[in-house]
Amino acid sequence: MMLFGEEGQEQLQDATIFIAGAGGLGSPVSIYLAVLGVGTLIIADNDRVDQTNLNRQILYRDQDIGRRKAAVAGERLQEVNPDIMVKAVDATIDQHTVSSLTRDADGIVDALDDFPTRYLLNKAALEKGIPLFHGGISGFFGQATTILPGKTPCLRCIIPQPPPAEVFPVAGVTAGFIGLIQATEVCKYLLCRGDLLAGRLLLWDGIQGRIEEIPVETDPDCEACAGKYKGIS
Amino acid sequence: MIYVKVTVRFFARFGELLGNTQEIEAREGISVADLVKEAASRNKAGYDTIFNEEGAFRDFVIVMRNKKRIRSQDAGSIPVGEGDEIAVFPPVAGG
Repeated sequence: MMLFGEEGQEQLQDATIFIAGAGGLGSPVSIYLAVLGVGTLIIADNDRVDQTNLNRQILYRDQDIGRRKAAVAGERLQEVNPDIMVKAVDATIDQHTVSSLTRDADGIVDALDDFPTRYLLNKAALEKGIPLFHGGISGFFGQATTILPGKTPCLRCIIPQPPPAEVFPVAGVTAGFIGLIQATEVCKYLLCRGDLLAGRLLLWDGIQGRIEEIPVETDPDCEACAGKYKGIS
Repeated sequence: MIYVKVTVRFFARFGELLGNTQEIEAREGISVADLVKEAASRNKAGYDTIFNEEGAFRDFVIVMRNKKRIRSQDAGSIPVGEGDEIAVFPPVAGG
């Protein structure tokens, strides 16, 4: 593609990205990384497609209701781009599986909906020295940041205590908006271009139509990262 | 009594319940925590979303003073000054 040049497209082709979750965020992230030409996408989810998902989980259609999300996501992403490798994994991301799921990844996209599991991804990213592209959504609100182990605060520095599980439904457009910010971050990281959302937490208020960003700092007492990890190269 | 002009900004769900921005004339020396309580007192649901039964910030709430984060447990002992901007927001968990 003209925008990235042959070299850039090869960099994308050589990359492996793990997408944790094939829901509201995982749908747009995975579709756009597939059409971008990221060579290997690993996407994991342990759920089935439900009718209530269809307002935002754009990997799925009405006829997919009841099917395993991983199976449908794998088929759909391969249709979107037959030239990439898609590994759709029907698995729960937990302390037993996180290491093997992220083993080959050059980066991890956080498309989850709970913080205890996000903290597992954060730990895996820190241990492997690979970036974690964080996103979170609720209603018309969202946040995103890019974590570079050893260079930026980790997810636990930024959000040390898990917010309560969401009780408000997510507007589909919010999943699209934040998911595409995450996909943009992955793209820039793989191409070594531009400024990442590193050390900056982006806050999106879709009701007000406002984006804010706040600087975030490493917590010297962070239970996940304090002084433990080398910088990302 | 001397008063200072400060701005309190609530984000996301907090803003829906309490209004996004409040300009407040607060008494000099008031702590960040007491200022936010005052600003949140206009709506019980909003107040209860931010503060627990003991009147302390719920542990997931992020508090910023002039774009710099402060530990919410320290907010009771940090005074606000003229022109300060206090921002309060909830990280969201959905995906």
